[in-house]
Amino acid sequence: MQEAAKQSDDVRDAVPEPARPAAVNDDAVRTALAQHLSRIFGSRTEIVSFGRKSSGFSWITYAFVARSAAEADRKLILRVGPPNGLFAPYSVLPQVYALQALHGSGVPVPALVSAEQDGAEIGFPFFICAHIEGDVPAPWAASELDPDHKRAIAQQFIEILASLHRIDPGVTSFASPQQGEQRAELRAIAGWRASLARPTARYYPLLDWGGRWLHDNCPQPPRRTIVHGDYRIGNFIEHERKIAAILDWELTHLGDPHEDLAWAMMPTFNARSRKLYGVLERAEVIDLYQRASGIAVSDKSLAFYEAYALYQAAAIQMCAVRAFEVDRFNDMRLAVMASQMPSIVRAFERALEAAA
Amino acid sequence: MSASFERLIDGIIDALQSHVVPNSNDDFVRGQVFSAIYALNGLKLAADWKVGPLLEQLRLQDDTFAAVKRLADGMAHPETPATPRIRGDTSDAAAVEALRDDGDRRLGQLLLWASGEEARAANPNAATEIERLLRRAICDQLKIELATTPKSMLQQIAGGERDGGAAQG
Repeated sequence: MQEAAKQSDDVRDAVPEPARPAAVNDDAVRTALAQHLSRIFGSRTEIVSFGRKSSGFSWITYAFVARSAAEADRKLILRVGPPNGLFAPYSVLPQVYALQALHGSGVPVPALVSAEQDGAEIGFPFFICAHIEGDVPAPWAASELDPDHKRAIAQQFIEILASLHRIDPGVTSFASPQQGEQRAELRAIAGWRASLARPTARYYPLLDWGGRWLHDNCPQPPRRTIVHGDYRIGNFIEHERKIAAILDWELTHLGDPHEDLAWAMMPTFNARSRKLYGVLERAEVIDLYQRASGIAVSDKSLAFYEAYALYQAAAIQMCAVRAFEVDRFNDMRLAVMASQMPSIVRAFERALEAAA
Repeated sequence: MSASFERLIDGIIDALQSHVVPNSNDDFVRGQVFSAIYALNGLKLAADWKVGPLLEQLRLQDDTFAAVKRLADGMAHPETPATPRIRGDTSDAAAVEALRDDGDRRLGQLLLWASGEEARAANPNAATEIERLLRRAICDQLKIELATTPKSMLQQIAGGERDGGAAQG
């Protein structure tokens, strides 16, 4: 969120805001989508089998088929950044940069079809990409898949992460908008600290103090790489024992590769297991990652980023608390997220103790 | 215990009215939902947070403020309130909650001070001890809150699934 929010601030400064509807209306989106695709495809395009795929808190995902006389039916995905989403206002740019930069690389991503940051045609920032066949595993559920299957997927998952971190970000679109005097890792921490500093009814002293500690003790990265920012079980599509695409690039930024590794190993995203996907021991993950990436994993940096992962998780939960309490967004899942704060904050304190 | 009691009830009622009622064509189910809304409106008028855990947190904070004062031993530090902040019994949960939230902010200021350069320069041993005390006390306060938090139902909530072997409450 940190970079996405920054970038969308930049975009807002540069481009006059078009008048936007207050909420996303599916029928209006569908009509506008048909007009948009008719224009970019150069022939009248009809939208069929249109429907929401998720009921998440952030980007809204639609699946549909684009039908035109000029070519065969195309199964596509539309993602829209809603004005009342948890991390609004949204920027489409990190996802667009990622899908463009990684196309044809060792990191499987859906092919980008179209994107608009100002969202003039649909009313909100959006992008369209190819539909990928397969399933998305649930990160918090104990999977019914057999352990060998899960092991194969977990190994691919780490090898793909290593491929991502091997890419030289200097030759991608990520480099230019993220230059600045401050280290990229510190900018990311500062973004979450600013998010946590927004007024809510509840203040958590350990998060305030811990945010400063993270800022003051952030290690130098072994190499500054593209960081996915939400690399975990549940953010990829698998098909026939193969990871077909890595998804959800909205938090992508430049930073320390340990950040992705620590996030992926959080028990929350592994059905509460300390093993990746419930099958791969931590030492195996690190060994596999080091061999595949050529990056030496530092215990100290990993411990730092494990604490940082919990800090980010707490900040995300506080976005939910704020949406419920301050913005009066009546989705009861947000209120439930608020009730998880004490356990996350305690886990964060323990992780900081380990990292210190 | 983050959102206020009234805010939580309002949110539940709105979620039922906006999302459950329009998507239910079964008259019996709708009757159940409207009955639940009625009962929730009654709770809003008659109930509040349990004051016991809040008072326990408040007492813990008061003990911590007193201990910080003692350990600081003349060092200049952020202001601490006179303790105890509540004398005798009280049943006004909103007032106790406000005092607890104010106490959290003061504990935060003290923790930032104790782990900062100024306190470390003035008396490093006392500063370290105060930092440890504050971290431990804040964690103890979270434990009180955890005791009144139901087990996670993340799987069902995120996926909308009926089963999942999670907590009953």
